[in-house]
Amino acid sequence: MKRSLLILAAGLVLLAGLSLVGWSDGGGVLRVTFAWPTYIDPAVGSDFSSSSSFVNLYDTLVYPDTKGDPLPHVATAWEASADGLTWTFHLRNDVKFHDGTPLTAADVKFSMDRLITIGEGYAFLFIGRVASTEAVDQYTVRFHLSKPFGPFLSTLYRLYILNKKLVEANIKKPGPYGDMGDYGKAYLVDHDAGSGPYMVKEFRVEEELVMVKNPNYWLPIDPNAPENVRFIGTTEPATIRTMMSRRELEISDQWQPQEALKALDGINGVDIAAFSPGTEFYLMINTRKPPTDDIHFRRAMAWATDYQTVVQHIFPGAIQARGPVPQNVPGADPNLFQYHRDLDKAREELAKSKYANELDKYPVEFHWIAEVPDEEKVALSFMANMADIGINVKVVKVPWMSVVDEMAKEETSPNIVSVFDSSHYPEAGSLLESRYHSSSAATWEQNEWLLDKKLDAMIEDAITTIDRTERFAKYVQIQQYIMDLCPTIFLFEQVEKHAYQAAYVDWPVAQGEINPVMGYNMAARFIKVYPDKRQKLLGG
Amino acid sequence: MSILKFLGKRLVLSIFVLFGLSLLIFTISRVLPGDPVRMALGPRAPEWAVENMRAQMHLDKPLYAQYYYWLSEALHGDLGQSLFTRRPVVQDIKEFLPATLELALFAGVIMALFGILLGAVAGRYSNTWIDNSVRIFSYVGVVTPSFVFAILFLLLFGYILRWFPTAGRLSPGIVRPPVITGMVTLDSLLTGHFAALGDALWHMVLPAVSLALGGMAQEARITRSTISDNLRKDYIASAKGFGVPEWLVTLKYLLKPSLIPTVSILGLDFASLLGNAFLVELIFNWPGFSRYGINAMLRKDLNAVAAVVMVLGVVFIIVNILVDLIVAWLDPRIRLGAERGK
Repeated sequence: MKRSLLILAAGLVLLAGLSLVGWSDGGGVLRVTFAWPTYIDPAVGSDFSSSSSFVNLYDTLVYPDTKGDPLPHVATAWEASADGLTWTFHLRNDVKFHDGTPLTAADVKFSMDRLITIGEGYAFLFIGRVASTEAVDQYTVRFHLSKPFGPFLSTLYRLYILNKKLVEANIKKPGPYGDMGDYGKAYLVDHDAGSGPYMVKEFRVEEELVMVKNPNYWLPIDPNAPENVRFIGTTEPATIRTMMSRRELEISDQWQPQEALKALDGINGVDIAAFSPGTEFYLMINTRKPPTDDIHFRRAMAWATDYQTVVQHIFPGAIQARGPVPQNVPGADPNLFQYHRDLDKAREELAKSKYANELDKYPVEFHWIAEVPDEEKVALSFMANMADIGINVKVVKVPWMSVVDEMAKEETSPNIVSVFDSSHYPEAGSLLESRYHSSSAATWEQNEWLLDKKLDAMIEDAITTIDRTERFAKYVQIQQYIMDLCPTIFLFEQVEKHAYQAAYVDWPVAQGEINPVMGYNMAARFIKVYPDKRQKLLGG
Repeated sequence: MSILKFLGKRLVLSIFVLFGLSLLIFTISRVLPGDPVRMALGPRAPEWAVENMRAQMHLDKPLYAQYYYWLSEALHGDLGQSLFTRRPVVQDIKEFLPATLELALFAGVIMALFGILLGAVAGRYSNTWIDNSVRIFSYVGVVTPSFVFAILFLLLFGYILRWFPTAGRLSPGIVRPPVITGMVTLDSLLTGHFAALGDALWHMVLPAVSLALGGMAQEARITRSTISDNLRKDYIASAKGFGVPEWLVTLKYLLKPSLIPTVSILGLDFASLLGNAFLVELIFNWPGFSRYGINAMLRKDLNAVAAVVMVLGVVFIIVNILVDLIVAWLDPRIRLGAERGK
């Protein structure tokens, strides 16, 4: 018996030794946790983790600066025709894909055609707008639009350029796209076809995306930028905390609860980077269902809402929203009217409502998303606020899929749904269109059912205006118009919080250099990792 | 012959069970609220793209036609495409199932070995401090869910003591063995990647023990109870009276028959390990089948949900047949009964 125990102990010691070999990996590595799925095919993904992977694996014609304005990238210069229907881009001639193939106009055309044909991911930004793409010569590409589209340059942050030759060589036939078979979709599940600063080394679905630095990248990369980048598919707080404390994780995902962030902040060398990602939390009010179809009733609710309790205690660090567009999104109106809790004004508005004398007959149904537990606190706080002016709120917890189903029809949409939403490209026009244009009614992005033709025309006019100054002035008018209708309670702008290893990682976001385009803050070439400092922390 | 007949009967019955299961899960997954294609493609995807995908998945057809397509394709080994991994579900299963089977096998061995050992010792020394200690351990083990053990172990052995790795199946610096079975330990052994073998075993300790403790406690309680009952039976007294050595009485006459209820429960416990593994896999970032299954359900990934349920059904059936065979081997009365019934 004793002998067996000794053998067992020896085995365990041996295994421990072997495992320590594995733990020693970490020099020049950037590990970030994400909520899976992560797609690396630019014609498929459009969520946070996929967008973060695209930024590292692919190049775009233009690159956003911290204000969301376009900088030359693969395109050195561009011009738009006077009618805004033709956009011509002149490309660099020294950009090469990971396999050494030169990047040309034909690749840009292929990428746009593929994206539009597949129709997934960020294709919605171009479908119905880009009529055709033309490779004028090897290094000139031209987009023909079906109607003018002012923010076109901003949408090009989402046109990731694929290696045409490589994708075509890996097409599977037959497939759903006719002659193009599967358009390389199966291949691009776990391979990249990009020219970006990082290349896929390994992709294990639902587990991990491992990328290595592209040694032949056409732009200089800081030598302290990580050699390896690993996107790890977990958001489990206990796991994150353990990995952070063991310096096996450099940046956490943004889904950690407040308590977990507090614990992470307490780890030596770990700080919390907080920034506004341009996401807003809306209480979307159904403007066609009693009693919220009455504008005075809606205004009464807006005056009675206690915004400060929400931003101070329920989502600490968040800031009260100012209208439909988060303030860091270009085109947001910084002077827009903002409601605050004022019960006298709330009662005054309520008295003007046609439901003032029969409030007990018209309870307000508030649906919150079951998958986001903190939303319940907002719902209960709102219920208490409304009770102060005699409005009866019925709080209902609903799974996300059911909410999406409910919002698909006017008659099943509840009085209020609480939803987070953000712009699809860094301009106010994106949110104004996706939240309030009639085309978005029946989707989860609009419970308001405004169906306001005047507003539709204003939005269409703004986004087809090519001149940026003029377009932004129109955005301001639209925001004021929406504010007057009071179709939504603009509760707060979300603050995205990530724990990161401040002792050995320089992350521009933490220094206030925040890119307003989703995913671009995870561009690893701008993040510096110092393995020697990490080693010191580990006591080595 | 009787065993073959028994197996034949069970297999025929299993086909009916699997058919019923497929009908049930197919219907339930499709009547739940939410459009899976819209969920997968996002709210801004154009309607034609959504319709194309629906057509590819036959979701534009009536329910009975969808079932016909699914069944005929499944019988040809094609379980469809996952809406979220964007790969054939069969490929997902090949990748995720071995990870969970490997974990469950290790947990199963720990559960059986230590459960029976603890139960035997407690039964043999019933009403002593040993028995009381095992009883306390068993109560704690039975009432505590696996994920609580997982978090406790993660924090204690991963966060504070740092003895064990806390995430994944292999450390980053370790070269992965070529895939043969998909079980990293077995593949490492078969291909001589001993560093990977050690590392994989080391990664397995915390999740496997977390998963095993509940079942282990249950096996210990059942074994203890049967052993202490059998200990008082006449045949044990007479064996002792005939001068049969103590170790032989314990191993052959006491332990063997006492294991029958334990083995029956063990089979069910093993099969349920696959379901219970979800949170443990989540906590240890184990890329397993249970985590895949739950994610598939949350995302309403129809083909993946159906495949996961069917695979779990097959595993349950296989394990239960194996348990029946082991019980028949352990208890001659069952064998004889079967033979008499021929």
